[in-house]
Amino acid sequence: MSAVSAARQPVAVIEGRDRPALTAWLLLGPCVLYLVAFSIYPLFYSLRLSFTDLTAATGTGNFVGLANYYTLLTDPLFWNAAMNSAIMVTAAVALQVVLGVALALFFDLDLKGAWIVRGILLLPMLITPIVVGVMWRALLNPDWGMVDWTISAIGLTPPDWLGSVGMAMVTLILVDTWQWTPFVFIIVFARLQGLPREIFEAAEVDGAGPIVKFRRVVLPMLMPAIVFAAVFRAVDAFRSFDLIYGLSYGGPARGTTTLAFFSFQNGFQFQNYGYAAAVAYSMLIIIAVGTTILLRYVQLRPGQAR
Amino acid sequence: MDDSGKGGLRDLLTGVAADRRKLLKGAAALGLSAALAGRFGTGDAWAADFDWKKHAGTKLSILMTGDENDHRALADMLPKFTEETGMELEITSPALGALIEKTLQNLKADKSSFELIEYLGFLTTQQVGGGYYEQLNAYIDDPAKTPPDWDIADFLPPAMANVGIFDMATGTVGQGKDIYGIPGLHSGSVIYFYRKDLFEAAGLKPATTWDEFKAAAEKLHSDDVAGCSFIGANDFSLAAVDWYTRFITTGGKLMSGSPKEKNFKPQVNSPEGIGALQMLIDLLPYAPKNVTKYGFAENVDGFSTGKIAQMIFWSTIAGPILNGENSMVADKTGTGPVPAKPGETPRAIQGGWGMAIPKNADPAKKDAAWLALTWMTSKEFNKYEVEKYQIDASRTSAFTDPDLVAKLPYLPDALKAASTAEIIPTSLIPEFFQLNDMMNVEFNAALIGTQDAKTACEKVQKQWEDALRKAGHLA
Repeated sequence: MSAVSAARQPVAVIEGRDRPALTAWLLLGPCVLYLVAFSIYPLFYSLRLSFTDLTAATGTGNFVGLANYYTLLTDPLFWNAAMNSAIMVTAAVALQVVLGVALALFFDLDLKGAWIVRGILLLPMLITPIVVGVMWRALLNPDWGMVDWTISAIGLTPPDWLGSVGMAMVTLILVDTWQWTPFVFIIVFARLQGLPREIFEAAEVDGAGPIVKFRRVVLPMLMPAIVFAAVFRAVDAFRSFDLIYGLSYGGPARGTTTLAFFSFQNGFQFQNYGYAAAVAYSMLIIIAVGTTILLRYVQLRPGQAR
Repeated sequence: MDDSGKGGLRDLLTGVAADRRKLLKGAAALGLSAALAGRFGTGDAWAADFDWKKHAGTKLSILMTGDENDHRALADMLPKFTEETGMELEITSPALGALIEKTLQNLKADKSSFELIEYLGFLTTQQVGGGYYEQLNAYIDDPAKTPPDWDIADFLPPAMANVGIFDMATGTVGQGKDIYGIPGLHSGSVIYFYRKDLFEAAGLKPATTWDEFKAAAEKLHSDDVAGCSFIGANDFSLAAVDWYTRFITTGGKLMSGSPKEKNFKPQVNSPEGIGALQMLIDLLPYAPKNVTKYGFAENVDGFSTGKIAQMIFWSTIAGPILNGENSMVADKTGTGPVPAKPGETPRAIQGGWGMAIPKNADPAKKDAAWLALTWMTSKEFNKYEVEKYQIDASRTSAFTDPDLVAKLPYLPDALKAASTAEIIPTSLIPEFFQLNDMMNVEFNAALIGTQDAKTACEKVQKQWEDALRKAGHLA
């Protein structure tokens, strides 16, 4: 028996008997316990909660079946939040993918000193979203924010960043993009660095120009990374709460209230726990369906991509 | 103390909300004036006999707000607390949202992790009315448990009514004889702030009516200084301070009927309701250009940096604004009662917090918790808080302390505001924050110009009626 295989069976031979099942449970136990305590139990608890009318006011939590879900469907505030979520996720992720891919291609040129810029570029991703929200709120402050001051100093009128319904959503998308484009960039860049260069050279030998080469060769090969990054970002942006809390607090006039923020408000501000749980579960359903569709799209193109 | 004395005191104590003078008169008649007068007089001797260390060695936990300075003041005084009582106190002080959640979790658990809980006055119905707190009359009545110089009559009557007194039978705040909470660690209402130098230079007097307020705003407005300001953002105080103050001081009545009778009907779309919002819209040309994004911090910053000529605001900001270390206009700021329509009493919303002992706290620690509660709601502690952090007092003695008044000249105005403050009727139901949010969103939308005042008020009226029906407060 080699040293390695001997080391693999320490528990099983403790009492001179082969007990692989016990070993497996001992090894898996902490993990399973953790999952049960912190994932599975809360998941089922909140599901049960979504079928009750529990509020701080009543404190009772009577079973009401699907009433909360029915209320959701007829609640204009829910649909407003759903629309805001859809706008935010679609626009932010699209922007981040375009910019992330562009940056990856740019840094793939391997220009002198690029590694320094690359490192700096990743910094926003390392900041906690709540801090990003508060920081940009300060920077965009119309009275003393640095951004507005700079724009005014060059003789232009700064936009009403967080003061109008439409512009607040644009600002939210821009700030989210500022923070998370580096994430898309790093995923796509890693994939790009791993691609065989001979294929690009072959395409060039065959007469493909830069645009054709990108469209027909590079992009298809990058697709798995792009879709992975996009799915990951879409899920994350959909759940985004802390950035909104710090930046706009869902306003003005519910203009940046997304489903995550709407759920927070119902749960933690209004103490309508049952309804808040139903909102959260509707988000779970939307994420599950959306992610499945997107991932299926990746699997449909394995020949070209992997 | 004989039984009749106890009963008399109990009646007097619970009647404190009605009239403090009556209380003192009655107490004197019962021979209890020394006890109620506290340290002033024979109370000193009695206080010397009181055993502060009877629960020495007990470890207590308090759950309180981390959004105000209460927790800082308490943390400052912890060594003194331990020295005087021999007890230890652990402070947990989350932000408001987390505080409410944690409080409710504790109150509904089999056993509370905290022996003392601080709750917002707007949540009295939810938490006290929910039957979660210990009734305190027996503690107050017992001279072995309550320090003689604690002086319950010294608490501001509206604050006592707002957080302390509750009638379980009718579910009414401020009614009946039963006490469940003690005002603390601070109370407060809304006062008028104005720039004395600008008003004098323009030959104006501080506004006493809303017309004068607008006229002054128009006259004082310049490129450097806004004629006035208010909470224009989607913020709790847009509805609770700026709209509600204008609404009630122009004759508005927010609700008719009662939740219990299921006829609790809002009057947001009344002429006074629409008029109060229209007043804010009409002030937009004289307010900071970004006032629709102004919440609490922006207004305090704007005023203390000299960019705002006048505004009404929580009196709790008076300390920082009149403190030369934080403010550029400390010696140029005057305060007064909020403006009102001629014939109406200047008044605003009742703010502040209460302190109570959860029913499900460890029974063995409840007496110790009460002793700690009396310690941290004492005159000395209240004075320390006001002096150090300029928070709004919950005791008359702190508001009228000559040293404090000399240092903080706004205190008489803050006392007047706190004494005339009104409990906002929607705080009588647990849906208070939800209703407030609906109003803030629609009013903010009106201020940024997406709808007019009438439409905004109609929308709020409809949303409130729907919410009240759903909650069973309106048939």
